[in-house]
Amino acid sequence: MSKEWEPRIVAFFCTWCTYTAADLAGISRMTYAPNARIIRVMCSGRIDPQFVLKAFHDGADGVLIGGCHPGDCHYQAGNYKALRRYTLLKRVLTEMGIEPERLRLEWISASEGDRVQKVMNEMAETIRKLGPLPLERPLPQPLPETERGAVPLTSPWPSPYTEREGVRLGLRGR
Amino acid sequence: MPELTPNGAPKIGVYVCHCGVNIAAKVNITEVVEFAKTLPFVTVAREYKFMCSDPGQELIQQDLREGKINRVVVASCSPLMHEATFRRATAEGGQNPFFFHMANIREHVSWVTADGHKATEKAKALIAAAVRRVAFHEPLEKKRVPVHPHVLIVGGGIAGIEAALKIADAGKKVYLVEREPTIGGHMAQFDKCFPTLDCAACILTPKMTQVRVHPNIELLTYSEVESVEPYDLRNFKVKIRRKARYVNEDTCTGCGLCAEVCPVSVPSEFDEGLGMRKAIYRPFPQAVPNAFTISRRGTPPCQAACSIHQNAQGYITLIAHGKFKEALDVILRDNPLPSICGRICTHPCTVNCTRGTVDEPLNIPGLKRFVTDLFPDYKLPQPKVNRSEKIAIVGSGPAGLMCAYELRQRGYWPTIYEAQPVPGGMLSVGIPAFRLPRDVITKEINRLKEIGIEIKTNTPVGKAITLEQLRQQYAAVFIAIGAHVERKLNVPGEDLPNVWGGIEFLRKVNLEGPFKIGNRVLVIGGGNSAIDAARTALRCGAEDVTIVYRRTRAEMPADPKEIEAAEEEGVKMIFLAAPKTILGNRETGVTALECLKMKLGAPDASGRPAPEPIPGSEFVLPCDAIIATIGQVPDIKSLGDKLGIETTRWGTFKVDEVTLETNIPGVFAGGDCVTGPDVVVNAMYAGKKAAISIDRYLNKLDMRAGREREGPYRTWYDIDTSGIAVQKQVPMPSIELARRRTFSEVHTGYTLEQAIAEAKRCLDCGICCDCRLCSTVCEAKAINYEMKDEFREIVVGSIILATGFKPFDARRIPRYGYGKYPNVYTALEVERMTNASGPTGGEIRLRDGRKPKAVGIIHCVGSRDRNYNSYCSRVCCLYSLKLAHLIKERTGAEVYNFYIDMRVPGKAYEEFYDRMLEEGIHFIRGRVAEVTDHAMTPDEEGKLVIRAEDTLIGVIRRIPVDMVVLAVGLEPQADADEVRRKFYISCGTGGFFLERHPKLAPVQTFADGIFIAGACQGPKDIQDTVAQAGAAAAEVLSLIDRGFVELEPNTAFIQEELCSGCKTCIPLCPFSAISFNSDKGIAVINEALCKGCGTCVAACPSGAAQQHLFTDEQIYQEIEGVLSYV
Repeated sequence: MSKEWEPRIVAFFCTWCTYTAADLAGISRMTYAPNARIIRVMCSGRIDPQFVLKAFHDGADGVLIGGCHPGDCHYQAGNYKALRRYTLLKRVLTEMGIEPERLRLEWISASEGDRVQKVMNEMAETIRKLGPLPLERPLPQPLPETERGAVPLTSPWPSPYTEREGVRLGLRGR
Repeated sequence: MPELTPNGAPKIGVYVCHCGVNIAAKVNITEVVEFAKTLPFVTVAREYKFMCSDPGQELIQQDLREGKINRVVVASCSPLMHEATFRRATAEGGQNPFFFHMANIREHVSWVTADGHKATEKAKALIAAAVRRVAFHEPLEKKRVPVHPHVLIVGGGIAGIEAALKIADAGKKVYLVEREPTIGGHMAQFDKCFPTLDCAACILTPKMTQVRVHPNIELLTYSEVESVEPYDLRNFKVKIRRKARYVNEDTCTGCGLCAEVCPVSVPSEFDEGLGMRKAIYRPFPQAVPNAFTISRRGTPPCQAACSIHQNAQGYITLIAHGKFKEALDVILRDNPLPSICGRICTHPCTVNCTRGTVDEPLNIPGLKRFVTDLFPDYKLPQPKVNRSEKIAIVGSGPAGLMCAYELRQRGYWPTIYEAQPVPGGMLSVGIPAFRLPRDVITKEINRLKEIGIEIKTNTPVGKAITLEQLRQQYAAVFIAIGAHVERKLNVPGEDLPNVWGGIEFLRKVNLEGPFKIGNRVLVIGGGNSAIDAARTALRCGAEDVTIVYRRTRAEMPADPKEIEAAEEEGVKMIFLAAPKTILGNRETGVTALECLKMKLGAPDASGRPAPEPIPGSEFVLPCDAIIATIGQVPDIKSLGDKLGIETTRWGTFKVDEVTLETNIPGVFAGGDCVTGPDVVVNAMYAGKKAAISIDRYLNKLDMRAGREREGPYRTWYDIDTSGIAVQKQVPMPSIELARRRTFSEVHTGYTLEQAIAEAKRCLDCGICCDCRLCSTVCEAKAINYEMKDEFREIVVGSIILATGFKPFDARRIPRYGYGKYPNVYTALEVERMTNASGPTGGEIRLRDGRKPKAVGIIHCVGSRDRNYNSYCSRVCCLYSLKLAHLIKERTGAEVYNFYIDMRVPGKAYEEFYDRMLEEGIHFIRGRVAEVTDHAMTPDEEGKLVIRAEDTLIGVIRRIPVDMVVLAVGLEPQADADEVRRKFYISCGTGGFFLERHPKLAPVQTFADGIFIAGACQGPKDIQDTVAQAGAAAAEVLSLIDRGFVELEPNTAFIQEELCSGCKTCIPLCPFSAISFNSDKGIAVINEALCKGCGTCVAACPSGAAQQHLFTDEQIYQEIEGVLSYV
């Protein structure tokens, strides 16, 4: 089953501001592009650059990081650390040949539901124009179900995942 | 790394909620449930209409009890909504509550996605993520933290008062902090409250009294919260600034005698500027606490700029009120030589006078002189203490005299040694008598002698007695010999007869009387001494006196008024010329001066353009006397050789800037002999500084501490000067020109009327003028001028913010004419008018006192307007109806209400509106376009015309009225953003404090332990405010009763075996929770301090640092899950 390609965006949102803003957007019934999947962390400072890299590796075409406005971080300074890491990471990604527009950092406060809508829509559009990320990468694998009772304790990624029908997109040539 | 769970492999149950139709309408629940069954480790997948309900939770618990699952995933609404609910359900089912995760498929999917198919796909992705993540969850325990039982309430309006009473009645201790001098807030300003029209004060003041007498409430008024620090895990350490009231709250009886004598009146804030209050005031008679407060902005610019900090505003205000004796007392507080200063001071105070921004600064020395002249026989205050030490002072100029006075007042016995035959220093020898009459100096010196200061004239130190002897005979020595040696011109011919130094010439005239110096006199120099010398030369009979100055008039250092006076008297001036050679011979004396023309070049060290000679431009000025006043140096050699005192390269004494001590301990120096030629007031400042230093030196105290504000400094206040009519300085009367050849005093001083007129121009920059009249009538002795702001630190477990609102500033809508037309009022101003204890005694009047015959009330001013505030302020329609009723009742005027919609929800509000309709108040539906005074028909002459479209009849109407009332909306306080940062909360739309949930948690915030109540959360009326105050009180009491809170266990931890001791994490923690264990060489996290942000975890290069509930593995699984499905 081949579908039309849709941008796949992973969004890391901090609990206190950005996630709350996304909730507010929901409560206010603001419609926006469904391409971004939100993963909740306590603070944007928790976002390890490895998360971003893994996301791109696992099939994301874009990554969005959301944090509190500078000065408003619930934990004082986590968002500043996120900004530092993001700036450096963007350079690294560019060196790796990934367009810098694929990684985006936004400051969104808890009352800015409309901003969530705007950013989500903009990001979807940007990634749509850029097209899918042409990375040669293996597909994520599910946890081995063979033995009930053993949960693998190995390094995080890549973990094997058997290909399922219609899960991967045609444009990758696989 | 997460370990194997004790109960074996994960068996995950997935529960998908319909949430009625909220989710089910968009997301295909059946498809999602089928998908969930295919996910790894999922043993059970169910759907239900309302998972959060009892039967929904029962589904989970049954599956847990039957052993079908050991981990739970619920796909429903936001975790911020129901995570706690389902964790509790999991716990009650017998499993650790943290084996649960939630997928948000409502706020983040069904409510925001247009296409149902895409919504279903997104829901599947999120559930996949949740399932993969929850497999890696570990069992965790919530930590219990005690909550401190004390409560802080910020804001003493009706919300704060209500909450305080409720909590205090329950037996808990409450600190109520209010930044105004009294509690009561805006409600105290109102007259009647809708819809019952009961009197606001009648229902408020009994509560205020209850607060005052309640044993559990500590009332801290006129105080503000400085900082809030987290303390002991979940409590708060709060630093409160108690502003200085200058009145002791506990002893003040509120009698009001102080306010009666206070000379300063300012517009009353409580009366919205309609009435006046004194500088010492009580906002309203029923204030709690009932004490008065002195509002003092700070040191006024005049007092700050004066080197000896004379209280200029003080005596000027007293003069304006005719209290001349009291003015003299204020002057004598800081200045023992006021008759002299009032005549010759260079008045740095006037330079900074705020009145100068309107028209011209006040003539402060002129007013001082007026007071001293009025009481020719005044006496200086006698010293109140007595010491035995004797101090020697060398030089009886203003520095020496001031030092002697200050030392004498501290009880010491100073003796002044003066080389000249008369005391006074430069005052007596350098300033001519037509500016400073000799008898004035004599009288001033006599006053000093009368209090015990000894002056030995004709006793030069260095000849009659040596400095060494002084050091042995006296406890300390102050050298103030001034600068009396004239600098040389260094041109050929300087030694010819009749070439005088300026000070030499003035000294001779002052000590021996006028003599004919010559007919054509040239004076070289541009300072005050040059002007004095020129005018003195005229009075000595010279026919032609010319001043030669090397720069232009603009750069002359002399006082501009003195230069003008010299020109009036006939002194000529030649600019841009400098002396080259003095021509003449020994027999005839001086015959001429050869000068070079100069031009202005680049600025030199003094900041003024340096004069550059123009070569070949010599010209000759014939003359028979030359006076050169180009600067003076101190005569240090006269004190003797081998003094041992360090000097500078300019020939002055070298002293410590702060203490004025020379390199010899106990020997001090100040005045012109240290600074070079300077003005009288700076010499007096040096004398006072030396006296303070000597006092500390003799008592072996720290000479350097706390001396920053001794000298002149700059203060500036933003005074609203709009509306002040221009009125220039009252000119100082002078004798007529014909008499300007004698030595009689030129300025004759102000008359009484002139002085009062000049004094009334003062703008009262400091508000309270420090005249101290209030303390003279206070029988309770409650006034204390030395009070300083104090700090108080308290520990509390909960905080309620009830900081209220501020009314919208109607000036922002210029077309309504507020501030332009006098009869446009805001609703709050009209409230004060209708209030019987207000500025008009309850009468509603126009500004000129007439009763209005027609009044227009404009609704929605600043509200429901995208240009200002888009929200509705909720109370304005109702108070507009109330004001319409009161105005009609009291004045019988026709009242027109211009509304958009009538917003009257609430109990009895609609009935109130009905009554107003029946009373004959006119209602016009249409937003007012403008208020204008432009009359188009004879009916409109002299009236304010309100233009609005009457939308119900579709016609644009012009309604002429006498008075316009603007129903201004409610806004957050001006410092709401600053306050919310202090308390770690956010502001929502409109700038009001953000509540946790508008329906289910209206008084909680996202910061645990901090609550909000009242108008600071959003515009509301008094009954809703009181309800919210009760709600906040209930929250707080519930916390205190429970005694503890449970902390979310999402703290970070370090896996010792993986930590390499790189210390990357340690500086990242804003809560200082990470420290380094040098024995083991690893980082250690203090779980009690960790707040769970995860910043250190992201930074750790080896993955040693992890965060419970948000481990790396858990998030990786979520990423994989979210991307494993489109």
